[in-house]
Formats: sequence, C-alpha cells, structure tokens
Amino acid sequence: MAHHTLTRARFFDGEQGLRLDVDLQVDTAAETLRLTHPDLPTGSHIWPLWASRARSDHAREDQMILTLKADASLDSSLIMTARLTVDEPEMMSILTRLCPDLTKKDVARGTYRKVLTWTGGAVAALALMIFVILPRMADTLAGYIPIEREVAWGRTVVGGMERFLGGTGAGSLVCRNEEGVKALTAMTDRLTERADLQYDLSIAVFDHPMINAFAAPGGHVVLMRGLIEKADSPDEVAAVLGHEIGHVESRDVTRNALRSAGSAGVLSLVLGDFAGGGAAVLIAEWTLNASYTREAEAAADVFALEMLDASGTDAGGMADFFDKIAELQASDSGRAMPQFLATHPDSHARAHAARNFAAAQGYGTTPILSAREWEAFRNICKD
Amino acid sequence: MSAQIQGRYFGKGAPLFKLYFITAIFTVLTLGIYRFWAKTRIRKYIWSSVTGDDDSFEYTGTGLEKFLGFLVAIVVLAIYLGIFQLLLTFIGFSIIPQDNSPQAIAGQAVAINLSILAVLPLMLFAQYRARRYKMARSRWRGLRFGMENGAWGYVARAFGYGFLTIITLGILAPLGTYRLEKYMADRSWYGDGKFEQTGRWQGLYRGMKHVFIGLGILIVSGILFAVGAPGEQAGLMILGGVGFFVGYFWFIIGMVYYRVYAFNYLTGHKVLDGQVTFAAALETSTVLAKVIVGGIVIAVLMGVIFGVIAGIGAAVFAGAGATGQIGAGGIVGGLVVLILYALAFLVAGGLSLVMITQPIIEHAVNNITVNNADHLNAIQQRSADSFADADGFADALDVGGAI
Repeated sequence: MAHHTLTRARFFDGEQGLRLDVDLQVDTAAETLRLTHPDLPTGSHIWPLWASRARSDHAREDQMILTLKADASLDSSLIMTARLTVDEPEMMSILTRLCPDLTKKDVARGTYRKVLTWTGGAVAALALMIFVILPRMADTLAGYIPIEREVAWGRTVVGGMERFLGGTGAGSLVCRNEEGVKALTAMTDRLTERADLQYDLSIAVFDHPMINAFAAPGGHVVLMRGLIEKADSPDEVAAVLGHEIGHVESRDVTRNALRSAGSAGVLSLVLGDFAGGGAAVLIAEWTLNASYTREAEAAADVFALEMLDASGTDAGGMADFFDKIAELQASDSGRAMPQFLATHPDSHARAHAARNFAAAQGYGTTPILSAREWEAFRNICKD
Repeated sequence: MSAQIQGRYFGKGAPLFKLYFITAIFTVLTLGIYRFWAKTRIRKYIWSSVTGDDDSFEYTGTGLEKFLGFLVAIVVLAIYLGIFQLLLTFIGFSIIPQDNSPQAIAGQAVAINLSILAVLPLMLFAQYRARRYKMARSRWRGLRFGMENGAWGYVARAFGYGFLTIITLGILAPLGTYRLEKYMADRSWYGDGKFEQTGRWQGLYRGMKHVFIGLGILIVSGILFAVGAPGEQAGLMILGGVGFFVGYFWFIIGMVYYRVYAFNYLTGHKVLDGQVTFAAALETSTVLAKVIVGGIVIAVLMGVIFGVIAGIGAAVFAGAGATGQIGAGGIVGGLVVLILYALAFLVAGGLSLVMITQPIIEHAVNNITVNNADHLNAIQQRSADSFADADGFADALDVGGAI
C-alpha cells in the first residue's frame, strides 16, 4: 500500500525565473516524488528518490534545496538546473529518511584520470621549464653580456657569497697573508702562462673550513681554506684551480646564474613566495653547489688537465685529490661532506682519467710551487 | 508576488566558524591542497545564507575545478615569471652597474619595481577572472548569473585610471571607481537579463568629503609643524602633532565612508534587463562598528589564547630546564604547544570571518532592496560558462579577498 504525504514546495524549472508553488507528494511504493502544478508541461514531474540530492553546506536548517542527479555532465555541478525548496519540517524528515543518496557527492566518470593527467601535465610543464627552456635561454643570453659587466656582476656574487658564509661583507673573508698571496700568484701565473684566456682572473682564498671552491661570473675564482688544508701538494690545488678556470672560460657560471634566477622565479611561485625573499638564498646555494651539467664538468676537467700539462705540472695531483674526495664521500655519513664536490660526477672515474693522463705526461714535470712557496701558501689565512 | 524584494541574510556565526575551522584543519593536514574545497564549502554556506523573497542564492562552483584551475594558473605563471626573471637578471647584469654608485642603486630600484609591475597586470587579470568565476557559479531561483570575458580590457583600464588617480593625487579616484565598476557591471548578466550601470562618476564626489577633510587636516598640521619646528615653538608643534593624528584617523574613516557611499551609489544606479532597479542603504557607522568591535574582540580573545599557550610552553620548558635536558615529555609538550599555536592561528582566521566579514555581508544584504521585482519572473536561463582556470590565478597570486 503506497503511502502519500502531501505538502507545498517551491519549484524552479531551471529555464525561467518564475516560481511555481507545487504540490509535493511522496509515493513510498514507487519510491518517487511527484510535483504537481497546472503550469508544468504535463501537469506533473516525477523525481525518483534515489536520484534526489540535497545541496550541501546549506546555511538554513529550516529548509532543504533538492536537485536531481543528471545523466550527463553538462555542467560543473553534475546536476540538473531545476531546484525544489522544501521547508515543511515533516516533509524534510521524511525525505531525509527515504532518499538513499540525499547527501551523495556525484563524481563524473573519468575525474580521477583527469586529475592525474592535469597534475602530471603541470609537473611536466614546470620540469620542462626548469630543465630545458631556462637552461637554453640562459646559454643563449650568457653570450650577450659584455665582459666588463660580467666582471662587476661576479664581484657582487662573491660579496654575496661571503655574507652567505658568515662574513660581515665583501672582502671580509679574503685571506691576505703577503707571502701566501705571492705563492697564489705564482701558482696562477705558471698555470695560465701558456693559456690564452678571455678573462682577467681574480683569484682569492676564503678563510672558511669548507672543502670547496667555486667560480663566479667574469673570471672570479674562490678557493676555501678547508680545501687547501685537505690537499697534500700544491699540484692538487692547482688541479682544482684549473678546473674552476675551465668553468670560467666556458661561461658555465654565468649561464648557471642566469638559469638560477629563472628557476628561482618558478620555484618561488610554486612554493608560494613570489616576493623573492627565499629566492636570493636559493641562488646563493645554487652557486655554491654549482650543479653544472655532466658535460660541463668533463669539459672543465679536460681544460684543467691541458693547463696542467702546458705548464709542466704533474696531473697526478688531480688524481690524488679526486681520490681524497671519493674517500670522503665513501666514509663520511654526510657530516662534513664537501657540498660542491659531492654534486660532481663519479670521483673515482675522474681520478682514473686524470691518472691515465698523468701516465702519458712522462717525466718532464715539476711541482707547481717550491716547498717554501707551498708552506707560505698553506699559511695564506694567517696574519 | 511582491513588486519589491528585501534582501535577508540567514547565516549564523557558530556554524560558519565550525565549517571554517574544520576545513582549515583539513587544509593544513593536506599541505594546502584542501583549500580549494574549503573555499568552495564556505562560499556555499555564505551564498545560501543570502535570500531574496525567501529564495536562497546558490553557489555551484566545485573544489575540483578550482584545483585544476590552480594547476593551469601555476603553469602559465611559472612560465611567465621564470622567463621574465631570467630576462630581468640578464638586463640587470648587462646594463645596470653593480656597485654602490647612485646610478647603480637607482637602476636596481627600477629593476625591483619592474618585477612588481610584471605581476601587477596579472593580479588585475586575476581579479576580473575571479569575479567572473564567482558570477558564473552563482544562481538564484535556479538561474545562473554570468559575466562576459573582458579581463584584459579591465587590466588596461585599471592601469589607466590607477595612473590618473596617482598623478591627480586622488582627485580623480571617483572616475576610476565608477568606470571600472561600470566596465564590470555592463558585462554582467542574470539569466538572459543584462545589468547596466547608470549614474555619473561625479556622483561619487559627495562620498569623498571625509577623505578630503582628513587630507586637509593633514596638510594644515604639516604646515603648522613645519612653521613651528625651526623656532622650537612648542605650541605650534603640539598642535601640528595632534592635528596629524586626528587627520590620519579622519582620512582612514573617510576611506571607509567613501567605499560604503560608492557601494550604495553604484548599487542604486544599477538596472537589470532595463526594468529591475536596486537600492542599497548601508551605513558607514555600522560597517565601522563591526570592524572595530570585531577587531577588538578578536584581539582580546587571541591575546588570552596566546597567553595561555605561552604559559603552557613556559611550564614545559621550565620542567625541561630543571633536569638540564629536554626529555621525551619535554618534546611531546613542545609539540603540543606548537599544535596549539597553529590551531590558535586557525581560530583567529575563523573569528575574523564570523565576526567581521560575515556581519558586514549581513549588513549589506539586509539593506539591499530590489524594485520592480515582478519583471524577474520573465527572465530566462543562460547557458553554462566553462572555466579552465576557475579562480586559479587569484589563488596563485593571492588576490582573492576574504571569501
């Protein structure tokens, strides 16, 4: 026996703004709602109870807005445009009891795939930007910066790095022991004597325990005290110096800095900080960890080896130094891991390549510094 | 059916606060992803609180489309900003000297402002798109609202009028207010009925009176102070100082007065489908009272809450200090304090929504009247407006406003 409950409700057909005060009837046997009004096309509408939905998060507790689940997703809300407002308490409780899916959230078919596709697409687009487009642009644009500007820019980068490493300002970390600086100059001169460089080099040692070295745009190279202390011979330091000069000459640093600026723009937006506060720190860290491409690293190694050879220096120094780095990487649990060198490709392979090169050099080599100069160089940070 | 409809607002503080607080916790737990759904649910609540002739408004936007819109916006913005920053760096380093000379400092200042100028058009674009999105997802009596595309035209005009306002020291502000609202209103629809902004921009000048009085007091005080300072005439200087204080507050309140006045004027001069008219009678004093009272209550409540949390924190660390090291209890206690602290921030956000934003919306809705409302029965549905970006640009650039 079908149970009928009769009440009034307000109906909008979703086509026109006219309000119809319909008679509402629940048929429990047929599990339907019947809406009756003379102005309805056939005099009445039938809503299945299973397809009835109540709008969620509705502010008014004294009414209920009913809609009907649509067959196809023609609209963002997945529902028909018709609306039925019920505000009779008894009818509301009956509907709540009888409609099985009143609060169901209908999700269109293919939604999960769509979310995955779009998320994947967004990640891919950002990756393409950071790893392909920005590096290409940086490579092209780096060639157009006038050298004197590059030199001035490099100076700001070095100054910024000093502050980043805890110095009080530009020049505050630079080691100035007179004999030591002379030894550094001697090393640089011998190394570059036969090389035809486009930049005037500006080489400094920072009073910092990190085992690290970096190049900045426009011919700036910085060695850290920690690196010199770790080295057992001047040839090892000369190898690192040659490697950094290689980066300078191929403008790797300039390109890298341009790319970092772009990537910082992208990342700061994704991470929600586009005022750029964090971007400066990011650029500093990037320069320090100088993640050049594998090809750029290999080219800088080759450049350094050729320089060592041309100046009559034993390339075995480079092999020794890479062995030390490999050892550090293997033994250390990351505590004093040389940051910059850790990002470089396999140290064993590089040591091996350098050793092969050294073997072919023969016996015509001499240490790049005399024992006395080397002693002075090791004390470059002592006043 | 009545020929005149009075707006009524039914939203309550407690349920909205609960909704805000719960969705905010979800947002934190999902590292921000849930915010699109949170925003949707809060809008649904507020929209459904607004009624005309006892028929509720409805918000049909979804969290999913907002999330996808955010993905679209973030990719577009990332590409734009990435390339722009790179070019800016390139230009900066190839043209601007990198030292401490005055030219260098000026050049660097220009570069920084350039990057702000690069984002500004996008923020204006996002503003228009966000309003259009909200319109397209609003319904009343089952009929959709809508807004035509025109975001770039809005950006150009907003720049132009903004520039005019600045170079005339604010004197032409009403021109910008009026024309920009007209630009948007004239592109707005309810069903197949088009809105039109009538009136004149000069009509807004009466609303500027307190802004001008405030400015006048500021200028006179500045002169008094400047005259008094060289001779150390204490009387003049004190008078100038007090005047400055008074002028400052007069100016701020004058700005609120102007916004309320402009809202009333612009609403009162809107026409829908050539026949339906509106009237708004918001009161500056009520709006100010809600902001000030709400602000004070929130400040006091938050003061108490943060005080209690600080007390708990002090107790935890004092306990740790006594033993000389932070034990497991200390770590747990520290975590509890951190969580309480984060929750307190969510409470503050919820309180500002239910004690300031919602009461102002309530005041506005309750004071809007629709005249010649019978014509609304003749309005027909409009087709759905699909949005690839939803209000993703506004979300990414953080220009959404309170709700």
